[in-house]
Amino acid sequence: MSRRIIENVSRPQPVDISVNGETVIAYEGESVAAAVIAAGTIIMSRDSSGRYRGPFCNMGVCFDCMVDVEEPDAPPGATGRVRACLTPVRAGLRIRVPVPISDKPISDEPGQNG
Amino acid sequence: MKRFDVAVVGGGLVGCAAAYYLSKAGATVLLLEQGDVNREASGRNAGSLHFQLEYRLIRYGEDQAAQFAQIIPLSLVAIDDWSGLEKELQADLELEMGGGLILAETPADVAILEKRQALQERYNLPTKLVSATEVRRMAPYLSDTVVAAGYCPHEGHANPRLVTPAFARMAQASGAELHGRTRVSALLRDGSEWRVQFQSIESRRVGEVACRAVLNAAGAWAAEIAAMAHLHLPLFAVPLLMNVLERSSPLIPHLVQHTSERLTVKQVSAGNVLIGGGWPARFPTCDTGMDTHRRPRPVLQNVVANLAVASRLVPALRDRHLIRTWTGTTGVTSDQMPLLGEVPEAPGFYVAAGGAAFTHGPTYARLISELIVDGRTSQSIELYSPSRFSHVNNFMASV
Repeated sequence: MSRRIIENVSRPQPVDISVNGETVIAYEGESVAAAVIAAGTIIMSRDSSGRYRGPFCNMGVCFDCMVDVEEPDAPPGATGRVRACLTPVRAGLRIRVPVPISDKPISDEPGQNG
Repeated sequence: MKRFDVAVVGGGLVGCAAAYYLSKAGATVLLLEQGDVNREASGRNAGSLHFQLEYRLIRYGEDQAAQFAQIIPLSLVAIDDWSGLEKELQADLELEMGGGLILAETPADVAILEKRQALQERYNLPTKLVSATEVRRMAPYLSDTVVAAGYCPHEGHANPRLVTPAFARMAQASGAELHGRTRVSALLRDGSEWRVQFQSIESRRVGEVACRAVLNAAGAWAAEIAAMAHLHLPLFAVPLLMNVLERSSPLIPHLVQHTSERLTVKQVSAGNVLIGGGWPARFPTCDTGMDTHRRPRPVLQNVVANLAVASRLVPALRDRHLIRTWTGTTGVTSDQMPLLGEVPEAPGFYVAAGGAAFTHGPTYARLISELIVDGRTSQSIELYSPSRFSHVNNFMASV
């Protein structure tokens, strides 16, 4: 699974977002896609026969990374759908993807990238 | 020189279907396609099966509409042809014939619907007018602004990416030879025969065959193919513009159109909603004006306007994302009716192009094949004969 690059990178203070109800950290400037991948899954949508899809083009063309999001200030249940690769994260964003985050959320400790 | 009964020019729906029907009837067939099978309008249209008179046919006044209504006898045959097509081709075509609605929002729309209904009744097309209450019962997904609709129970859609390849497979299984990436370079009369010269686009290798008949099924470019036989056909390349929304749960079981605006809406089996209706796109420009051989470009304000009409009529579409817009090139004749038959000035030169060539394509192909093989058709196609344009070929000896 992907890991954030740690060495020689400075980031702003982390913010909390949630992916499928689990609180994880993200950094301003990251895309929703990057934050979801760092949270433990690359699966963001399904194709017409139900198979899993993840970000393919990473530039807004393929629409394979469409995820449901609730804005931090939106009432519960007021979801929108966005292309994860083009949408910046912000504090409090609630994201839903089709599968549970099975892996442990990515920590900032160096040396885990392999 | 190799001989065939028929050389078919064009590997779209009409050409591939004709190759199938002709070889099924025992004719030897060579099909030549300059690009790839199904690459142009046959595979790039939105797959509507519309049997009611479309907006483009009724918008130019009552006299013209009455003329266009003469297409309905062909539509009646097309309804039967489509109903049996998946069985005939042993293929899933994602065919849905769950009915179509043409929506009215104003008293003026209703007046147009009533006139259309009268024309359709004259030709026994099974359609009816439905009230606002009935529309809401049949199609609760529609906006409250709808006050009436014209309904045809046979309208629907099929997947254009499946139909022509299915015909092509069946044509080959029946013995037809299909050559892609091969451009026709000359069509010459030779006594009672035709010589067809062609060239492979990659290898530049040239070939020539003799045949009894040539079928011009070149769609948007049928006039250019006719010119190789020194004939004029009044058929013009025009751009198509289509939009597709993201997949979503089933909502729209009908083909939806509007009485007085450009609109088609349908939901395909994968769940995507296709939105079109004839909004213009633009051909790229070139030294001689516009280049109809290159892909047309979408016109952004037309995409926006098309989506606005669709989401006004089907409000739930406002929450669904546009994922792609694409264009294609099709052919329109000067009177909007198909060109279907033998060109009188060039015996043995047949044409099947123009009109609503997806809805009517399998029917064009079946009937023109009958004409070529038997010399007559099971259903009259006299009204669509290119002989109505004989005056433009009066000076154009093809010999």
